[in-house]
Amino acid sequence: MKPIDFNKNKGTDLLLGALLLVAFLAVPLWADKGLIFLAGVALVHIVFALSFNTISGLSGMVSFGHAAYFAIGAYSSGLILRNWPEGSIFIAIAAGGIAGGVLAAVIGMVALRRSSGNYFAILTLAFAELLHILIAKSSWFGREDGLTGIQRPLINVPGMGAVNLTDGNNMFYFILALSMLLLCGAWVIWHSQFGRQLAAIRQEPDRAAFLGVNIHQSRLIAFSLSGIGAGFAGAMYAPLAQLLTPEVAHWSFSALPILFCLLGGTAIFWGPVAGVLVFLGLEHSTRNIIGLSEVVIGTTLLFVVLVFPGGIAGGLVRLKQAWFKKPVQDEVPEFFTENGVKS
Amino acid sequence: MTTVHSQPTLQARGVFKNYGAIKVLKNVSLDVMPGTTHAVIGPNGAGKTTLFKVLSGEVFASEGSVAFEDRDVSKVPGYARVRSGIGRTFQVARVFGEESVMDNMALALESREASKPGHLLGALKVARSSAVLDECMEILGQVGLAGRTREQAGVLAYGERKRLELAMTLALKPRMLLLDEPMAGMSPGDRIAAVELLSRISKELSMSILLTEHDMSVVFALADHVTVLNYGEVIASGSPEEVKASPLVREVYLGH
Repeated sequence: MKPIDFNKNKGTDLLLGALLLVAFLAVPLWADKGLIFLAGVALVHIVFALSFNTISGLSGMVSFGHAAYFAIGAYSSGLILRNWPEGSIFIAIAAGGIAGGVLAAVIGMVALRRSSGNYFAILTLAFAELLHILIAKSSWFGREDGLTGIQRPLINVPGMGAVNLTDGNNMFYFILALSMLLLCGAWVIWHSQFGRQLAAIRQEPDRAAFLGVNIHQSRLIAFSLSGIGAGFAGAMYAPLAQLLTPEVAHWSFSALPILFCLLGGTAIFWGPVAGVLVFLGLEHSTRNIIGLSEVVIGTTLLFVVLVFPGGIAGGLVRLKQAWFKKPVQDEVPEFFTENGVKS
Repeated sequence: MTTVHSQPTLQARGVFKNYGAIKVLKNVSLDVMPGTTHAVIGPNGAGKTTLFKVLSGEVFASEGSVAFEDRDVSKVPGYARVRSGIGRTFQVARVFGEESVMDNMALALESREASKPGHLLGALKVARSSAVLDECMEILGQVGLAGRTREQAGVLAYGERKRLELAMTLALKPRMLLLDEPMAGMSPGDRIAAVELLSRISKELSMSILLTEHDMSVVFALADHVTVLNYGEVIASGSPEEVKASPLVREVYLGH
């Protein structure tokens, strides 16, 4: 019998990635400055949401404090760029990623000792709140007023010479390039042997352990990698926004990737990407209807969760399967259940 | 077959297991000799599954020791015991329900490879080698699942799921197999096939097997040695014939 082609989705993924890249590349051609900035924020949130889904959708761990890793990445990169304006933006962003990873590793070591379910969720939330208070009360981080004066140094691009990032378009392209690299990294983790192992741990942790998998170690590595991703997202956000407030460490900021993933779908790699685009799209298009914006977004979220339990991406896959008359599979992992056990 | 081994493959010595005030295992000792099939029988609640948990490293013994091939593994966690050569199946078969049969197998093979030192970069490999897929097919063929590779494991019939779990465990190339009620919930036809499969495995791969089972015909068809548990204590141990003849065993378990 012929072995099965396991990478049948590779072509589709490549196509989707290329479409995403082209769509974002074209933004400065038609959009105004505000929209270009928003597109940059969307890219940052895509990285943030993908990093979150590596632990929730893939590994089945419920973290309620993901803003902490975003915030520590943002403040690390922001502080470096503020105090060292002639320095390298790459060093600042790398520092943000490392800071996010180290914080996640430390918190993971404590919080994953007992479980990866509710107890873990509450502990991650508690640690994130601790960081929020620390940032809001410390003059080092600018207290409640925020951290200002974050510079965008020149970068040297081979063949183009010095590129001035104070130009909004250049900054956008810079963020786009980094986000696409990070997206590729997330894709590799999601589809690699390690990623498949994480999915196995989510489904049957005991079976995985008795295949010789050190599940505690795998979860800790996944959580740290996720922290690195969120740290990178924050680190890109600092020079993009040039102003950081403690809001990026607030629990409501931790809710954002959860909403993106619920909306877009957690079971499919592209789910969070779809979630970010739809969420920010809705938020932007309803921004002038004061008071109604939240109602529209809330209703949409409710609709998607009730009608498409697998989110937008899950819904699209179902549509595609119905179109090609393939049997519809209901095996979309539930979101808020411990270790992904289906309710 | 004639090689004489003096050392047991798996050895439990004076194992106690307490859950709070409840003493589930009391001074249990047993030896599984190389290449033999050893059955643990006893009424429900006798402590068979707890003994399995202690032997596989899912829980640690409160007192006493467990040794695998002369090495004390009493405080070695389950995943590490698996890596050193102890495979284990569950009473209710556990497979990765969202994945295909083939993916389940490949996961088992990949975890075997991943436990080898220096595998760090291999963990990021996206594609699967044809060698892995070939080996998966071979083992699936052994348990009679070669025609079901694309099936989602969660929708398999119960007997098939048990066979898939056994195949995944075999993929780890263990030297010792722990099977917790391998026939539970199987149809009579499946049972006969499974008995055949297990005796073939133990002979061809000369694997040591420890199993619990309620079906006495299965036990007496497969086991070289039988240990009887009652209320957490060993009340008899010996060849199937000896155990069958024991009046105490007849009284508490066999019932005739």
